[in-house]
Amino acid sequence: MKNSQKVSKLAELQNSTMEKQLNTLQEDALESLKKINNLEKLKELEVEYLGRKGKLTEILRGLKDVPAEQKPLAGQLSNKVKTIISDAIEAKKQEIERIDVEKSLNEGFFDTTAPSTSSQIGTIHPVFETLTEVENIFSQMGFTIADGPEIESEYYNFTALNIPDDHPARDMQDTFFVEQTQHPEHGHQVLRTQTSPVQIRAMKEHGAPLRLIAPGRVFRNEATDASHDSTFHQVEGLLIDKDISIAHLKGVLEQFLTRLFDKKVSVRFRPGYFPFVEPGFEVDFSCLICEGKGCRVCKHLGWVEFMGAGMVHPNVLKAGEIDSEKYQGWAFGFGLTRLVMMRYKIPDIRLLTSGDLRFLKQF
Amino acid sequence: MLISLNWLREFIDIPSDFSPEELANRLTLKTAEIETVIKQGKHLDDIVIGKIQKLSPHPDADSLTIATTDIGDQSLQIVCGGANLKENMLVAVAKIGATVSWHGTETITMKKTKIRGVESHGMICAGEEIDIDDPNAGPKDILDLTYLKSAPGTPLATALSLNDIIFEFDNKSLTHRPDLWGHYGIAREISALTKFPLKVFRPTTQIPETGKSPQVTVETPELCPRYSAIIVENIVVEESPAWLKSRLKSVDHGTHNNIVDITNYVMAETGQPLHAFDLDNIKEGIVVRSAKPKEKITTLKDEEKTLSTDNLVIADHEKPLAIAGIIGGKHSGVTTKTTSILIESANFKAAPVRNTSSKLGIRTDSLQRFEKSLDPHLTTIALKRALEMILKVCPQAKISGPITDINNFDYKPVIIKLNTEKARTKIGVNISNKRISEILASLHFEITEEKEDSFTVKVPSFRSTKDVLIEEDLIEEIARIHGYEEIDEKIPRLPLHLPAKTPLRDATIEARKTLSYGLGFNEVLNYSYYGITDIKNCLLSESDHLTIKNSLSQEQTHMIISHLPNLLKNVQTNIKNFPDLKLYEIARTFRPTDDFFPVEDTYLSGIITSPKNQSPFYDSKGVIEHLAHSLDIKLPRPVPQITATPYAHPKQAITYLSPSGATLAKCYHLHPLVLRNFDLENFQVSGFEINLSELISLKKVSKTFKQIPKFPASSIDISVIFSLDVEVQSAIDVIKKSNQALIESVALFDNYQGPGIPDNKKALAFKINLRAAERTLTDEEVSSAQKNIFNNLETLGGTIRNK
Repeated sequence: MKNSQKVSKLAELQNSTMEKQLNTLQEDALESLKKINNLEKLKELEVEYLGRKGKLTEILRGLKDVPAEQKPLAGQLSNKVKTIISDAIEAKKQEIERIDVEKSLNEGFFDTTAPSTSSQIGTIHPVFETLTEVENIFSQMGFTIADGPEIESEYYNFTALNIPDDHPARDMQDTFFVEQTQHPEHGHQVLRTQTSPVQIRAMKEHGAPLRLIAPGRVFRNEATDASHDSTFHQVEGLLIDKDISIAHLKGVLEQFLTRLFDKKVSVRFRPGYFPFVEPGFEVDFSCLICEGKGCRVCKHLGWVEFMGAGMVHPNVLKAGEIDSEKYQGWAFGFGLTRLVMMRYKIPDIRLLTSGDLRFLKQF
Repeated sequence: MLISLNWLREFIDIPSDFSPEELANRLTLKTAEIETVIKQGKHLDDIVIGKIQKLSPHPDADSLTIATTDIGDQSLQIVCGGANLKENMLVAVAKIGATVSWHGTETITMKKTKIRGVESHGMICAGEEIDIDDPNAGPKDILDLTYLKSAPGTPLATALSLNDIIFEFDNKSLTHRPDLWGHYGIAREISALTKFPLKVFRPTTQIPETGKSPQVTVETPELCPRYSAIIVENIVVEESPAWLKSRLKSVDHGTHNNIVDITNYVMAETGQPLHAFDLDNIKEGIVVRSAKPKEKITTLKDEEKTLSTDNLVIADHEKPLAIAGIIGGKHSGVTTKTTSILIESANFKAAPVRNTSSKLGIRTDSLQRFEKSLDPHLTTIALKRALEMILKVCPQAKISGPITDINNFDYKPVIIKLNTEKARTKIGVNISNKRISEILASLHFEITEEKEDSFTVKVPSFRSTKDVLIEEDLIEEIARIHGYEEIDEKIPRLPLHLPAKTPLRDATIEARKTLSYGLGFNEVLNYSYYGITDIKNCLLSESDHLTIKNSLSQEQTHMIISHLPNLLKNVQTNIKNFPDLKLYEIARTFRPTDDFFPVEDTYLSGIITSPKNQSPFYDSKGVIEHLAHSLDIKLPRPVPQITATPYAHPKQAITYLSPSGATLAKCYHLHPLVLRNFDLENFQVSGFEINLSELISLKKVSKTFKQIPKFPASSIDISVIFSLDVEVQSAIDVIKKSNQALIESVALFDNYQGPGIPDNKKALAFKINLRAAERTLTDEEVSSAQKNIFNNLETLGGTIRNK
């Protein structure tokens, strides 16, 4: 209510001469403002109306003739007019500046196609890039990522895995032996030929149940060619629990491959022989190129050989100190290096260890 | 191993409409991998028998003839250069579309063509052009097939009876199946997979009960569980009949003479290797014994081998006749002069035979079977089969007397208790007991006792030498015959569980991201070994290394104790294409210890190259700091020294030590000698090595919020001239010491040598921030602090430039 009373009093005041002058001033100022389109003119206008010697100051000189009781109201009115004009000037100023900036956007030429100045971009080796993905998928299924020594003992690499002394796998032509005195229990030191010894180490350390993968570097004393190298990477998997079956292996592998390749992949099992599993099988997955119809990549079979797997042999569980009457499970091992070669269509395994940046920078 | 479908059909009724591909597929999915199915005569498609009706000279070439040739449904005009062409001759005609090997070399597909202006609608082939032996052909002769008497138009494959299908098995997938190394064993397996009836293998030879038998002594019964042998007289050694030769040829066996061919035939049939000796070359009798030291034998392949006492030989009373289970000796072999033979059918222990073979470097079909552990029951069956065939091929032959059978094996059938419920849970499919018993029966396993949840199973002798010994082996038989494809995938129902922590793995992943994606490094993957040359080039000591006994090459003899040698080789590979290299690898190093197992530390090591006048040392140092920051680890201040790193410049190196004194990381310029050894004199190269295994054992920095400063900082820039040997760190230290309360940070922003600065001097410029937490600093406080800083720097030997 108080506000409306003030307004009515102001209305009274507006009838006086000063009021008229102020109102006229405001109207003139706003009208002149409309025509202004540069900052210099705007400055002149500001000085003309609001400057120390400007029109508003001139009017206010008449304030001394205003009756004392109307002075506050007259003051208020003049302030109001001043604010309106200066706000309008400020708004005009921002508008002119905006128009100037907008005009300037079209001036000159900026080449956005020139290369970025970001620092040199490096690369992660394709084997390790894929390894991390593989580990992440299994980790999300609750598999622990386990590890073991790369220089192993004959015991862990062979004996504990149910590979007898006279098995061909132990031949000098497959295994690198380290020059060292033979140990009564461990035998010789060997560069591990497979990641499977980690199975035994993990069983002994953690017991059952067990859910792990063990990726890592393995070594074979093999002549090097486009598809064989003396060093490559494998991933071992192991799942031991009360009623783990072949069907579960199928399930887990399909989940894994489907996630890794980001498309539905199925697996098939064929009989295969590995001393540390029984039953043992070769696992193929449906060709990613032809989806099982048969193409050059899969040699028209529709399937690609992928890994060896099987139900853990009771002798291996025994070596790992797990009761094979109570627990059972499966293990698998696949060549990560081969998977990487397939994935990136790398024709020669030796490129991976070549250290050649012309190769490495592609990943 | 090659298996012929026609041969299999002698033992099993495979319906003619059952496709070989389906059979191969079933074998692959349930038994062993078949690599290829070879259709005999496949390469002869569109090649037919033709009869030459008329020959007329080519108008334009003396060496060519125009042959009008009847191919049944039509008559073709063919231009031919064959020297032996005659009218009414039967020839092989490659029709348009056929594939031939032009002059035995280039593969071409036949097209209608003009030869010297005369149209030719096909080709009359020489033997070599269609891969058919024609031993009597002259240099320009075509294949004369008149002897076949086939009607014109008959497909050549049919006319030559090339209608067999050959299965090529992957030998590796048969390693555990001694029973599958012959046609009969494969037929038996197919019978289980298909239910096609199997014939019983029972040779019907009459063996005399009296007469002359071989004298055999087995001195090493543990290595030779069974030795069966018989004498056959009055034989005529000659070329084998065509049917026998073509059988052997179909499975890629060479042919020699009727007797040797028969032993090979029986081996291909039964899996049991046989050997025939010329009886006249055997002095007195057979002795199965260990070889004498340095005893020599010349093998059938005409190679002299020196034997040792762990080799088993078949000898007479004078000399070795054969290397047991592997190969015969040249001098006791069957030749055309042979009239009496001794046929050996023995069983040898697998491992010693295999060891002998790998030591002597001889692999034979015989060894390939013995090393699988053959069933000793086979010896006499195979022997009888060989006799049956000798009498067929050489009817005048006479079996001299009974089989000598030295039997040192004590056969006890393998009996296994099978828990059928266990089988079901392991396979993951609900297979009924009835189905289980059907499967086992189809494989010739005998169920001697059947209870509700368990069977007592007797394993057939041909599966019990090593293949099927425990319950799990039976479960495999059930699973594979039932069909792995019948097992539906299932997701295990396991309790939620958080996998164990893997700090080393986490650190390697973080390191890769930091170095590759943050700092622009390329990751390499190098071998875990290097050679003497690398060790020498890096000034390392050979004795610090583990060595490989049987290395592949001179470059791969020693296990790495540092990544730098291999990284330097990477630099050599790349420096021409990429002069500014930033490489790293994360891998283990191997240090021998007093314990059996060496220490394997996971190191992140890297190398940076730059032009000679720069100092990539600081980039390497930055990598270490950067990585520590990514891993939330606060590094201790490095010490200006380095140990056990001979390839580092001893005065341009630092080491980060853990509180317990372990090396966390080191950083250095490469030793100038090493740079020279790797032809890198024109570069400056720095290296860094971070022991990730150690680094992650440090406690992570705990982060706590600190109040954001409310009052402004005052900053002072100071430029000070020092002798070159004054360390930046000591300057920073004295600056900080001059007012520990107010100095918030000290940063070096310039380190200059050159014009304007005296020789042997450098100008260091620092930006120093001063701040008090609760007030704005007064000008007096700032200038008093500055004065102290000046004083301290001067005490250190500095000259302030902007005083």
